[in-house]
Formats: sequence, structure tokens, C-alpha cells
Amino acid sequence: MSAVATAHPAPAMPRLALGRTGTAVALLLPIALINAIGFVLPVLNLLRMSFNEALAGGGVREAFILSNWTGLFGDSFYLELIVNSVSVSLGITFLTLVVSYPIALYLHRSSGRWRTFLTVLVISPLLTSAVVRTYGWIALLADQGPIVSAIAALGITPPRLMFNTTGVVIGLTEILMPYMILSLLAGFGRLDPRVEEAAMTLGAPPAKTFWRVILPLTLPGIALGCLLCFVLAVSSFITPKLLGGGRVFLLATEIYDQAIVTLNWPLAATLSILVLVIFGAALAVYARVLRVIE
Amino acid sequence: MMHQKILSGTPTASTDSDVHLRLDGLTKRYGDSVAVAALDLAVPKGELVALLGPSGCGKTTTLRMVAGLITPSDGRIIVGGSDITTTPTYKRDMGLVFQSYALFPHMTVAKNVAFGLEMRSVPKHEIEKRVKEALAMVRLEALSERKPRELSGGQQQRVALARALVIRPSILLLDEPLSNLDAKLRDEMRTEIRDIQQSLGITAVFVTHDQVEALSMCDKVVVMKGGKLEQIGSPIDVYEAPATPFVASFVGRTNRLEGSANGDGTVIIGTAVLRVPGRPGGKVEILVRPHRIKLVDANASPEGSAERFNRLAGTLTRVTFVGDLLQYHVDVAGTEVIVEAASDHGRGFWKAGAPVALSWRVEDTMVFGRGA
Repeated sequence: MSAVATAHPAPAMPRLALGRTGTAVALLLPIALINAIGFVLPVLNLLRMSFNEALAGGGVREAFILSNWTGLFGDSFYLELIVNSVSVSLGITFLTLVVSYPIALYLHRSSGRWRTFLTVLVISPLLTSAVVRTYGWIALLADQGPIVSAIAALGITPPRLMFNTTGVVIGLTEILMPYMILSLLAGFGRLDPRVEEAAMTLGAPPAKTFWRVILPLTLPGIALGCLLCFVLAVSSFITPKLLGGGRVFLLATEIYDQAIVTLNWPLAATLSILVLVIFGAALAVYARVLRVIE
Repeated sequence: MMHQKILSGTPTASTDSDVHLRLDGLTKRYGDSVAVAALDLAVPKGELVALLGPSGCGKTTTLRMVAGLITPSDGRIIVGGSDITTTPTYKRDMGLVFQSYALFPHMTVAKNVAFGLEMRSVPKHEIEKRVKEALAMVRLEALSERKPRELSGGQQQRVALARALVIRPSILLLDEPLSNLDAKLRDEMRTEIRDIQQSLGITAVFVTHDQVEALSMCDKVVVMKGGKLEQIGSPIDVYEAPATPFVASFVGRTNRLEGSANGDGTVIIGTAVLRVPGRPGGKVEILVRPHRIKLVDANASPEGSAERFNRLAGTLTRVTFVGDLLQYHVDVAGTEVIVEAASDHGRGFWKAGAPVALSWRVEDTMVFGRGA
């Protein structure tokens, strides 16, 4: 290998041959190819699949029918599914933001080894899979689990924390927190401690400093974190599946059921395209918010 | 420390009622290290006081304690007779101009200036009026709807000043406000800040490491080193009658020679005998400002009597042209002495290698003991 390298020493040659634009294209080509094969083609395939006809027993007949789409919007179950998915995801996103923001702000202000330690602590949940963490929540939230028992011990009738939307919200909020915290930190660049101090010297008590200075300056981070968490919440299916116990119906779990259990691929494809449209809408909102902030 | 007052500035013996800001044994410790050590300071109403010193001398820490951004370990801060040591920053009513300006990046210039008034629940029409006045004062009316990032450094600096002053603070605090500006702008802003401070008659504390700023703008200069006070005095006092060798070398440049004093007003340096003010004894250091020394012909007869002039022989090693000045580097028995003289179109009278003599007046000689 090294013999080959020494045999062709001219490092400037490829650049001379390609020029600036050529170099850029050459550098982008591998990822463009991977994206085309791994993302664009399958999505086009999905789009095509959503117009095919599903046969009983999992068969698919090549066709060009609209019944998958019309059925979707004509059925109140699916309409509810869409509304439910979006609203639960929005709720999870908001909750994740509320619990992550103070942590991110503290991390942003800490320094040195302490900061490194805390950052590792925040990221470390990402090292275990969502399945493992979901089973952890099942143990905690179960009917005979420690949380329910503790509430019961206080003499209050404990609420059900699992196999319903509450369980899904609790589990997903915790699972999405690292993403939210990292996004917030990335967006906190404009937050200069001197600016907060300036607000205080001008007579702003801590609460006013927060609402008038800190919060507006951290909006880019908030927007980024919310976009990311919303997308991840809509598309997550393991946690809703396990913590929802088959009683919480969301788009992602329904796609899974249709594709794997019912083997109705055309319907699964239709729902998948719908999720993509929702993501597109979320991105548009995000772009709009960023423009307003600037 | 012995030192002789040459030009005795009028002592600022202010009565207690004149004092607007008083620091009483103000101390800040971080673990074992002391950032500010028992600082006492009295600032009369309407005066501009400079805290001057190298970085790490505790000047910024002191200012931040006055603003309430750092909690003192010990001591008190008194403004207008009331103790504000434990008052939170937002109730202190002080205008602080930051080194980095610290403007609110998401607000327009007008909104930045209006912020402090909004916090004070000033009626809307009055806010508008006062913001206009404040921006007119710093000549930025035309830019009121711009965002800070669209302004130059000097303009941002002016917005920061207007924002701090519009609330009519009891004390104006300035933390190295000019250090991020280029030299020409710095000169302009120096005059501008001083003019505004005087026309408003506001008490102000100015932190700087630049002796020119301290000397040219301020009524009083507080020289600090290692968290301790070195000298408080008028700019002339501090420059002409430094209390310590540190003050002498930090405020203006100086030459340093070591010798031993006889206790009769003379000091022996090598084989030469110098006259000094006062009657010090023991090991001493002699400090002379470069521009107080004249270069004379080594063979010429002394210009005046030995009673009034000191004379040291040396060799001219180098002549440096620095525009308005010529710097002569003279080797005096192994010690380099710098002499500054007005440059005559860049032509020096003296050439490197020439044997020369240094001559300066006895009263321009500063003498300090070198410890036991």
C-alpha cells in the first residue's frame, strides 16, 4: 500500500484536473449515491406502492388505484390516528423541552471537567437501545411497580401509568431528552453571560431577565430541539408499542402493524407517505420560525 | 517607602457628605487566593475615578462587586450613605458599560436603550422621549432601528453608553470600555465619555489597564497591583510623585538604576555620585523618566552645578526612530538607560557608539528603598 503511495507522489494533480466545482462534486458524489439508493428510491417505491391494490392474505397486485388514499381520509379511525399521533407527539415535544431546558442551561453555564462529566451523563442514555430503556420504564411504571406502590402508600388511588398514553408520553419524553438537550446546547451560542448581567444592571429581576433576554436568545436552540424531537416522536414505534400495550394507536405503530402483521403493504406505504408529509410540514414550520427569530 | 513629592497636587480631602461611593475594606477571596484585599476607597460626587492596573490586579473584580455581579467576601459598599453590599444587582441603580458592550442582539438600538426604562415601568411616551434624548447625546438617532450586529464597534460602544445612562443611574461603571476600539476611535471616545460624564455630573468608576486613559480622563487614579492598593491620587500626583516603584513603572515609562544611599542626600552608583531628594539610606533604586534626561557631550563641562544636576557617563548603543521621538539607548556600566528626545526630522544629533553623558535635574530623580 505504502509502495503504491510513494509511486504516485503528485498530490496536486487531482485538484488541477477537477477544479473547484469538480472537487465539490467528487466529494458529494458518494453521499449523493448512498442517499439516492438508500432513501430516494425507496421513497419513490413507497409512493408507487401506495397506489397498488392489496389482496387478501398479504398479496399485492400492481395497479393504479386511489382507494388506499380515499379510504384513509374517509375512515374516522385513520383521521383520529393522524390527529392523535400529531397531538401526542407535540405534547411529548413540549414536555421534553420543559424538562430539558433547565438542564441545558445549567450545562451551558458550567465549565471545565464538571461540564465534560455532565455532558457525558446527558449523552450516556443514547448508548443503550430504546428497547432496553423502555423495558426499564415498564419495570418502573408497572401496576405493582415502585411508582404506583409509592402513590398507593400515600393513600391516593394510583393512576394507571402503563399501557396507555401516559406511559407512552413518560417513556418517550425521557428517551428524547438527550436529543433535546444537545440541540438546545447547539443553539445557545448567542447566550452571552455578559448580556444577562447587562439586563440585571438595567434593573431586570431574574424572572424578567429570563423572559426578555435569555428565552429570546435561546429560541434557535428551542426550534431545533422541538423539530428534532417531534420528528423522532412521530416516527418512534418501539416505545409506543411496548408502553402502549397495543392500546395506544399512533401512525408509526399502525404502519408496523399493517406492514408486518396484516401484511397490507399498500396501506402501510400510504401511511408512510403521510408521515413524510407531516415531516415536511414540520420542516416548513421550523424554517418559518427561524425566519421570524432572525 | 520613601518618596519625595515634587509636584504636590491639591489633596482631595473630601468631607463625608461629599462622598458618593465608599468602599470599606472590600475583599474578595477565591479559596486561598485573594483577588481584592481590603480595599478602601471614597469617590466624591461627580468625580470620574480610574481603577488602573495590569490584568489580574483586581480592578474588574472590584467593579463587578460594586455592580453586584460578584458577592464580596468581606467589607462594605456604601452609596450615598446607605449600605448596598447585599442589595441585588437589579435594585442597585447603576449603569454598567461592558468591555464587550453586551448589547441585546435580538433588540434594535432603540429597544436596547429603552430596556432599563421599561424595567422601571416608565410611561411609554416618556420612554420614547428619553430614548431619543439618549441616542442624540451619543449621536446615533439615525440608527435607532438597526440591530447591534449592523453597527460598528464604536457605534455599539455608544449604544452601550446610552443604554447605561438613560436610566439616570446613581453611578456609572465602565469596564475597559475602550479596549476593543482602534486607536483613533479610542481617542475620540475618551473625550466623548469625559464630556458626557462632566455635563451630567455623574459619579463614575472607570476600569482600565491603559495609563493614558486613566491620566487623561479621570479626576483621580487608583493604582492597583495584586489585589492591593498601590496609590490613590490625582493623575499628576500618580505620574510625578509615584508612591512605589511599581506605580512609577506602570504609569509612564521609567529607567531604573540600583545604588546605595549614604543618608546625606547622595547615592553611589558604581563610581558616580548622584544627588537625590530627601535623605534616604541603605540600598536604593533610582528611577528617572526617559524624557527628563538630556544627552550631553561626555567631554563637555557640566551644564549646571552638581548641586542641581546629576550626571552619568555611558556609551550610546542604539538610536531608535519612533516618529515624533528619538529613543537613545545608553549603556551605563551594564545597565541600559533610555533617553527620549524630540526628533528633528528623524535626524539624531548623536550617533551610536559615541561616548555620552546623561544629565538630569536632581528633583527629577525618584528614589525608593530596596528593602533590607
